[in-house]
Amino acid sequence: MASTRRAVRDDGRDSKQGARGSGKVRDVSEKRRTDERRSDERRSERRAEKHRGAEKSAKAPVFAGYEPLPGGCYDELFAGAGKARPAIAPVVRQLDQLGEHEVRFRQRLADGAFLQSGITFRVYGDPRGTEKIFPFDVIPRIVGAKEWDKVEKGLEQRVRALNLFLADVYGEERVFKARNAPVSEAIVKGSTGYLAKMRGIRPPGPKHVDPTYVHVAGIDLVRAPNGDFLVLEDNLRTPSGVSYVLENRLVMKRVFPGLFAKVKVRSVDAYPQKLRDGLMSLAGEDSTLAVLTPGHYNSAYFEHSFLARRMGSMLVQGSDLFVHDDRLYVKTTKGPRRIEVLYRRIDDEFLDPTVFRPDSLLGVPGIVQAYAKGNVVLANGLGNGCADDKGVYPFVPDLIRFYLGEEPILGQVETYHCSRPDHLSHVLANLEHLVVKAVDASGGYGMLFGPRSTKKERKDFAEQLKAAPRGYIAQPVVELSTCPTLTKKGVAPRRVDLRPYVVTGTSTWVLPGGLSRVALKEGSYVVNSSQGGGSKDTWVLASDDAASDAQEAGE
Amino acid sequence: MISRVAGCCFWMHRYVERAENLCRLLKVNRSFLLDVPEGVADRWFPLIIVSGEQERFAELHPPPAGDDGEIVEAYLTWEERSPVSVITSMRWARENARTTREVISLEMWETLNDLWVDLSRGKARRRYDTDRDTFYKRLRDGCDLFLGLSEQTLLDEEPLDFMRLGMWLERASQTARMLDVKHHTLGPSRADRESPVELAQWSALLYSCSASEAYYKRVPSKPDGRSIAAFLLQDPALPRSVLGCLLRARATLERIRTEGRPELGDEPAALLDGLIDRLRTRDIDTIFGQSIHDELTNAIDTTAAICASIDRAYFDPGDQSALLVAS
Repeated sequence: MASTRRAVRDDGRDSKQGARGSGKVRDVSEKRRTDERRSDERRSERRAEKHRGAEKSAKAPVFAGYEPLPGGCYDELFAGAGKARPAIAPVVRQLDQLGEHEVRFRQRLADGAFLQSGITFRVYGDPRGTEKIFPFDVIPRIVGAKEWDKVEKGLEQRVRALNLFLADVYGEERVFKARNAPVSEAIVKGSTGYLAKMRGIRPPGPKHVDPTYVHVAGIDLVRAPNGDFLVLEDNLRTPSGVSYVLENRLVMKRVFPGLFAKVKVRSVDAYPQKLRDGLMSLAGEDSTLAVLTPGHYNSAYFEHSFLARRMGSMLVQGSDLFVHDDRLYVKTTKGPRRIEVLYRRIDDEFLDPTVFRPDSLLGVPGIVQAYAKGNVVLANGLGNGCADDKGVYPFVPDLIRFYLGEEPILGQVETYHCSRPDHLSHVLANLEHLVVKAVDASGGYGMLFGPRSTKKERKDFAEQLKAAPRGYIAQPVVELSTCPTLTKKGVAPRRVDLRPYVVTGTSTWVLPGGLSRVALKEGSYVVNSSQGGGSKDTWVLASDDAASDAQEAGE
Repeated sequence: MISRVAGCCFWMHRYVERAENLCRLLKVNRSFLLDVPEGVADRWFPLIIVSGEQERFAELHPPPAGDDGEIVEAYLTWEERSPVSVITSMRWARENARTTREVISLEMWETLNDLWVDLSRGKARRRYDTDRDTFYKRLRDGCDLFLGLSEQTLLDEEPLDFMRLGMWLERASQTARMLDVKHHTLGPSRADRESPVELAQWSALLYSCSASEAYYKRVPSKPDGRSIAAFLLQDPALPRSVLGCLLRARATLERIRTEGRPELGDEPAALLDGLIDRLRTRDIDTIFGQSIHDELTNAIDTTAAICASIDRAYFDPGDQSALLVAS
């Protein structure tokens, strides 16, 4: 009986193939895929037609009515109305030709794709654990090849210097003893991220290279009105967001397949492999790697899980781990298993309750001792917080000169450190033009936004400054650049920043592009996802010449 | 694999299996009742009893709500405060999947996520209101697709074994519960005097276990309660029979043991062996009637004990450094 059934099934399959006139299954499926895409495109055209107002032309270009903001702030795609920036102009034209309605349709496809794949972040303080989609704008931010090459070099240089700085701060302390010390001992050691307990501990890794503290850096960049990328902030502890870069690209490829075929954009897919290679280069060949997450209620859980998946590593929580004889183990169904490399996404102070916060349930008792003995690579290293401190930031250009004997390739935002009497008096005299930040606060706390402050607020803040000048820095208001963004009223300029990711094992690799965050509200400077921010795909062109090729091919 | 993650795999499949079974039961009970004259049977409350939800249900819906099919059905489908309702099971199945995304396949995740998005965003609620059979069928199909995908997309290794283990044990316990519905609806059966209504319910139970056609192949004579009960309880070849599920769970546990440290699984293996032996050797003629209820209760309780023992052995092992010294 069973054999009859099999025969029937085989017959069915054969006749089907016969009908299609092809013996190759792959050919059929590829043809079907093309057919599907074509019919998708036809459907989208029909839809676009349906929604189109009578007065609008059949293919209203995407950027037809687009005007960059007046007032000299830099626009990522346009030098002026209708004038795309030369290095990226051919790509901008490709986008333009799709038409606004088509782009809107693709935006809906993209939103659906994010929901379907469950790429969400948790909203804190919601007992039902509501998940939200990180808003995404389909109009990409495009960066020319040459200008990116400079950014890449600048980032590599900065991270190299910061690594040497950390090794020095927790080692010989040359930097404090130098005649023209680039930064004072008091500022570094006064930082909340400085961990005195790490003095004299060399992070595990090969002895012939400088130790790595900053395995993953997220260096926040903004664009000055003249088009220069400036460093706004270093994130050297547990920078997040890279999974969105990779997922954004996947979704973009899904909704703009034709565009990616025409335009050569540098791939971001290698990130997990590069991270894995980088981390493993610091330990033995057959070591075991794990990603440590605070758990699935953490807002970045999706990313932790994503990275573990893509690196083919375990995803562990503190309660899965234990230390025995200064070695780190994970509890498995077959008994303990040794872990030599831990990419931890938990802050320093929660990592080891025997060394830092005794109330931490997220960490692993004894892990710091295992690290000190050289038995486990921790990425990022411990104590990095003193290098990405706002109070140390103003001195980073001098640190680059000190350690590398090079001029910094990337500029940064002019910053006054109130610990210096000359800077303090300047800040006090110009409070209404400056943004003043407490060095040990983040997320907009302990901050004065000069241009929007009242006289009384400035007076009160001045008192605080005079009382504890070391605790504050001040910067002029940063004009974030803008990028065309899809809004309800059409394509309009919205502020963006950029967080590229830099991976360092025994060598350094920079992810081409990074996370472009966009302030979706009109006039807003706030790009944080918790406050109405979204993200964009960042396209770094393979070469500026390739862009011109595409122009010829497209015409 | 990581102990905690193994537990998530086990529970993910338990929850999906639980939701799937509840959908079967609710759908079949509805159609069964259409054939039963009013007042003959306790119509809906038995479903609450076999789910172990009497107390919570009574708190939220004072009697005589238990007679109201709409209330019972809504409770077992949508009540988020109930730990066994379809929506709760699906929520936790997805939560476990979310926690083990690095272990399960993309296809599995997308299937479960789709089901959850559908359930939690109103679309399914409208289907429930307008076309209930389709609602349950869709859910069941989704659950079955998920369970099938795990067999088709995962490496045939430890994580999948823990998923299977969870699925088989949950299914064994669910089939036992389904069989017990009969006891609570129409009272103890008597082989010598079976009413048409009783026979209709036995047939409905066969149907909820997707076992009608298999039964007719197995038992050529006129259907009767005794042989149906024996079939659903003891036939090792039937994939939803209590014994069949336990045997498969036992084989899966054996695979886990041989590939790891066998001694870790000694206790659950012994418990499983005991229950299997007992079910195998019970003569249906002696237990059919009052004592089948006791037999089922024992099977359900022992299965719960097996799960707790697996939990201690594999998922929540406590301090493992002793094992390190030993090796």
